[in-house]
Amino acid sequence: MHLTRRQLLVGGLAAAALTSLAPVRAARRFGANDDDRVLVVVQLTGGNDGLNTVVPFAQDAYYRLRPSLSLAPGAVHRLDDQTALHPELGPLAELFAEGQLAVVQGVGYPDPDRSHFRSMQIWHTADPGTDYGGGVARPEAGWLGRLAAQLAGDEGGMPALHVGRGDLPLSLKTPRGFTPTVRDARGFRLAEPRTGFGAARNRMLAARAAEAQGFTAERRALHAAAASTYDAAARMEALLSDQGRADYPNHRLAEELALAAQLIAGGFGTRLFGLTLDGFDTHARQTQTHAALMRELGQSLAAFQRDLADKGVSDRVVTLVFSEFGRRVEENASKGTDHGAAGPVLVMGAPVAGGLRGGAPDLGELTAGDLAHSVDFRALYASLEKDWLGLQPGTTVAPFDGLLA
Amino acid sequence: MRTARTTASAASHPATSLRPWQPRPGEWRAADAAHLLDRAGFGPEPGEAQRLADGTLDDALTALFEPPGHDPFYFEGIELLLGSGELEPLAAWWIGLMVAGGDPLGERIALMWHDHFATSNDKVADPRLMHRQNELFRKHGLGDFRALCHHVAKDPAMLVWLDGNENVRGRPNENFAREVMELFVLGIGSYTETDIREAARAFSGWGTRGRSFRFDPRKHDDGDKTVFGRTARFTPEGMLDWILAQPEAPRHIARRVLATFVTSNPKPELVDDAAARLVAHDWNVGALVRDVLRSEAFFDAASRNERIAGPVELVARATRRLGFDLAPRDLARATADMGQALFRPPSVKGWDGGEVWLNAGTWTARHNALLQGLTTLDDDGYHAAFARPESIEHAADLVLDGLLPGREPPGLREALLAELDGQPDPTSALRLATGLVLVDPAYHLV
Repeated sequence: MHLTRRQLLVGGLAAAALTSLAPVRAARRFGANDDDRVLVVVQLTGGNDGLNTVVPFAQDAYYRLRPSLSLAPGAVHRLDDQTALHPELGPLAELFAEGQLAVVQGVGYPDPDRSHFRSMQIWHTADPGTDYGGGVARPEAGWLGRLAAQLAGDEGGMPALHVGRGDLPLSLKTPRGFTPTVRDARGFRLAEPRTGFGAARNRMLAARAAEAQGFTAERRALHAAAASTYDAAARMEALLSDQGRADYPNHRLAEELALAAQLIAGGFGTRLFGLTLDGFDTHARQTQTHAALMRELGQSLAAFQRDLADKGVSDRVVTLVFSEFGRRVEENASKGTDHGAAGPVLVMGAPVAGGLRGGAPDLGELTAGDLAHSVDFRALYASLEKDWLGLQPGTTVAPFDGLLA
Repeated sequence: MRTARTTASAASHPATSLRPWQPRPGEWRAADAAHLLDRAGFGPEPGEAQRLADGTLDDALTALFEPPGHDPFYFEGIELLLGSGELEPLAAWWIGLMVAGGDPLGERIALMWHDHFATSNDKVADPRLMHRQNELFRKHGLGDFRALCHHVAKDPAMLVWLDGNENVRGRPNENFAREVMELFVLGIGSYTETDIREAARAFSGWGTRGRSFRFDPRKHDDGDKTVFGRTARFTPEGMLDWILAQPEAPRHIARRVLATFVTSNPKPELVDDAAARLVAHDWNVGALVRDVLRSEAFFDAASRNERIAGPVELVARATRRLGFDLAPRDLARATADMGQALFRPPSVKGWDGGEVWLNAGTWTARHNALLQGLTTLDDDGYHAAFARPESIEHAADLVLDGLLPGREPPGLREALLAELDGQPDPTSALRLATGLVLVDPAYHLV
């Protein structure tokens, strides 16, 4: 990690404000290690059409059930003699060829639910067993939030970040407090009513840090929250302005991934990033819509992966791409697809054992018109939690073998 | 009981009773009046604390308990707002009542019951029903708790929220029965799983039709149920009465009232005293709240600055005191960014509160909302909120006395004066000081 002079200055100033409050915490939270492993999760909201993402181009049933939506064998990017990627996913096909992309097919869970809300809740909580319609009204935490709590201990901090403009995904909800959102590269956007206000505010906090021992728990918590927020905001601003922005395509997802890359490479210390690409609920005339989404996804992910490599951090970042369900195998009368069940998951990164996983779906063996799952998504989570992040898995499902190189 | 708060390391509050405070002449001051308004309402408007201090404590309590009431204007437009089907106008409407309405204590109590009987539009998905429940809290919040509890139990939003419609003879749904014991009336540990299962049978048949409550006798299990050692053919109403008759009930409600107004960490003796008073007042919550607000315990130094201000009280208090020219919708959005979206509590347990309010995201939201409010003030606005300062030092004192009356932490004045040094004129210093104090941790205690 290379700290610039400015980062040292800003970090040092804020660290002074914190010293008497929580020196141990400051050292832990702000001394991000060069080898800290990072998980980036990209959620495709609405139910991505898995069969037109990872295409079983050798199966006749695909063309028979999808007369208007099927993708021509000549247009797709072949991964092997059975399976190919959507024509707009060329950039990902390159990553696949380089061994940096695992395409896991047939991912789902038992008794699939076709409600967006419920199925997303299941993926977010990794808990198909608890229907939160009864008992507790909403789950207390998501799977990433639980990991964040493990990383933070009970000291708070910013182990997880939501990047984007929408509501916080349930996956990032923590058992305590909540995960901050960074909307864009302007960072936390702390209001600064006049020049020098931030510095004045920091000096006022620092001036009273010496008295922290006499504080009540409440006052101590408030001082720690203020000081750590201002420090994090300053570090984020410094590291965002000191780095040149890499070349990314003009997509919102790309912008958000670029921000994540800057924070990772700048040593911000966040270990879990959550991002969302919306618009996958393609019930009608889906060809153009889906192609545009595939273009945004493929270009953005590939640019992110190249950027991570350029920044020298690709060996410590893994990206997971999922959707709450795949779509019905047979197209509907509106040239679209309805809610389905199992679908593909992408796992990208230099540490990933690239290749096709999970077995190609068999379109001759449908369950109520949908693909049956062959891989439980919780096995993928467990592998990322345990084998990648070195944390306690939030599920009892055994980790998926061989996801990492 | 707020589990998140009991884990805090703070020592318990010293008071052992709600003995009334009898201030000697000169003891009842503006800082005390400000504390009363901070806790019992949403803080003072400019000059309000001093006006109350010029009278007596009893006058101040009378003003809270016999308020002028809300301008009917607030209620005329609500149907129009609800017609949109959107939740945000309802949240904006309510925070508008807190900030500018004519019954601060009534709204504070409504907020307390919203947290206690926490119901979220995320599941109810009908702002009209959320509004109707909110009106229950407004209408019955300071009355007989048992009556309030009966109203809430039959409230359509609550029935949707806790699956009343699913609770039918032969297929009991325990959701409401569990929460009524664990959270609403008794507190965790005061019942067995069998009590819950049996009580659920008694509540069967309560449900909704359209937006109305209805009891369907065909869905009601009218057999014998055994709850808390008594076997009877409990009706739903009879079951609720039997739960309310348990000895833990008054203590549970007393704890909620004490946590709202005095301390979340009371000594058992203080809880006992408050519970006994609630029973002596025939369960009239208003009478207990009056005892509490009249007590030495309430005005004890240990009760002040004891609590991290929640988003709604923070935003409402700053808006009232400083006269921010912000739309109620902006205020509602601000509290949501800080982690307290009205009508959307995170679970049936309500908001955990305390340190759980704080993290980098919520602190950023606090910082930005308060400073955003200040951008709506011109120099005249600042002078109206405080006074026209004669010197830079005077500016600092106006802000500290105005925003932290009687609770200015050691070292803050010196640190503030150091920053104001070199300001071109007293009003510029007043503006800077206001911003710096609003984002200082001290302002976020109440």
